[in-house]
Amino acid sequence: MREHSKREEDLEINMTPMLDIVFIMLIFFIVTAVFVKEAGVDINKPEAVKTEEQKRVSILIAITANNEIWLNRKEVDIKSVRSIVEKLHSENPRGTVSVQADVTAKAGITLEVMKAVRAAGVPQVSISADKGKK
Amino acid sequence: MRKFSKEDEEAEINLTPMLDIVFIMLIFFIVTATFIRESGLDINQPDDNQNPPPPEDDKKNILIQIDSNNRVFINLRRVDIRQVRANIERLHAENPDGVVVIQPDGDSETGLIVSIYDAALQADPNISIAIAEPN
Repeated sequence: MREHSKREEDLEINMTPMLDIVFIMLIFFIVTAVFVKEAGVDINKPEAVKTEEQKRVSILIAITANNEIWLNRKEVDIKSVRSIVEKLHSENPRGTVSVQADVTAKAGITLEVMKAVRAAGVPQVSISADKGKK
Repeated sequence: MRKFSKEDEEAEINLTPMLDIVFIMLIFFIVTATFIRESGLDINQPDDNQNPPPPEDDKKNILIQIDSNNRVFINLRRVDIRQVRANIERLHAENPDGVVVIQPDGDSETGLIVSIYDAALQADPNISIAIAEPN
């Protein structure tokens, strides 16, 4: 009897500390989950030296070399950019918008998209660029 | 023996199903946590309503135009893209109050705007840069 009881005690692991850690990790990941709206296409981004890390990006808008605009994994028309960004921005009002324009994309389209994003009420817009060397 | 075992089982709550759920939630949130590392240039467009427009004095401002063939003109003089930074540095030293105005053609390449914006920031990180509407 005594031997049996001892063996049972050994077999059972105390789960409480592990549960604590798991719960804290769970809460951390729930809180930090931002759910970034990715553009859905790969872009050949321009290089720049003075880039800054964009920490609170929640919406990515891509402009391909063929001047197509991709937003939330769909190709969209320039006229609908504003309303889509407005809708997505309301889900995460603290997030910012980054425009991923291809090096050869037309400047007119890029600036038009940035204007539409600003009109949608997002104050912080950036043009995404890869960190280049000096 | 039998009785002891039964009692032990009843007193302790079975944590296994809850652990299963918690682990599945944990894995879901780890997988969906997209820590995207996005770098870029902050383009701060002057607000039309609040800020006064840059002074109209053409001599003070550095006007950089890009035409539809991706040629770069600084104050109406054609320069190579690699010399943009040196030119901005020189003109900015002459007139520290001057604003860099980038005026691209609608058909020029976005990469050029980024390069020029970057060059101006390299010349002076606190320089004011405005991107004009394409004409």
